[in-house]
Amino acid sequence: MIWFAALAILAGVLVSLSRQINGRLALSTSALESSFWNHLVGLVFITIVALLIGGLFAGAPAASPWWAYLGGPVGVIFIAAGSWLIARIGAAQTALLIIAGQMVSGVVLDIAMGAPGNPWARIIGVALILAGMLVSSGARLPLRR
Amino acid sequence: MSQRPAPYQFLYFAAAFGAGGLLSLMVLFNGTLAAYGSLLFSSWVPHLTGSIAAIILLVVLRPKRAQTLRPPLWVYLGGISGAVTVMLTSATMNTALALSGTIALGLAGQMVFSLFADIRGLFGLPQRMPTARDYAALTLIIAGSLILIFFGGSA
Repeated sequence: MIWFAALAILAGVLVSLSRQINGRLALSTSALESSFWNHLVGLVFITIVALLIGGLFAGAPAASPWWAYLGGPVGVIFIAAGSWLIARIGAAQTALLIIAGQMVSGVVLDIAMGAPGNPWARIIGVALILAGMLVSSGARLPLRR
Repeated sequence: MSQRPAPYQFLYFAAAFGAGGLLSLMVLFNGTLAAYGSLLFSSWVPHLTGSIAAIILLVVLRPKRAQTLRPPLWVYLGGISGAVTVMLTSATMNTALALSGTIALGLAGQMVFSLFADIRGLFGLPQRMPTARDYAALTLIIAGSLILIFFGGSA
């Protein structure tokens, strides 16, 4: 259990590590070129792993809806945005704001798709996130001075 | 994380928040692929279609290179770190941690390492000291995220 928890934490560390390395590449090239290399190198790596362990086309991948294949182009913009932002607002703020956007849009997507959920948890969770973004933006709060 | 002119600050915020929205779409698309094919397939496809999309965008937009100097080779390896992430989360999702535990611990790992990287200025990126305001914002956003992950019904 502790072993799996460590792996889950490591996954988060690797997300940040990947964004930092891509951000460094973007400093030398461009955010878009950095995103290209991220995808191409990742593709080569996964292909090698797939050749080693097999099972890439297991299941019924041809049966999946066509729109499920759009994750790649969306990912190109996502990685380019992260590479561009990290040199400008830092790793922590980039990660924090992306998490905020992911969480809030996740609630919107869930509601749009009719997924069940606790409305109070959704309201309080989104409110806390928006409050955090307001604080982070440097908005003048009445309690200062 | 120094203060910047307001227009830039707004642009950065909108871009990062919007990128988070794109991430939600990616999770939905790639997760749907994983429901039909293997987990490896659900990571292989977006890397393949993403590489093609990136080539098309590079040819059309022709972004200028920031430096003519060749960067060190290790800066091209970010994609490996990203690909390993997919495999790790796929592995832990099916343990007692479940999806919610995997996401929550992943957020923790991501934030702690990001703060460490900022403080140390790792990998040639600008060094920044987080302020009390940054920690307050972090506490609020992570608290809201944890409530959504564990009590929101679906992650």
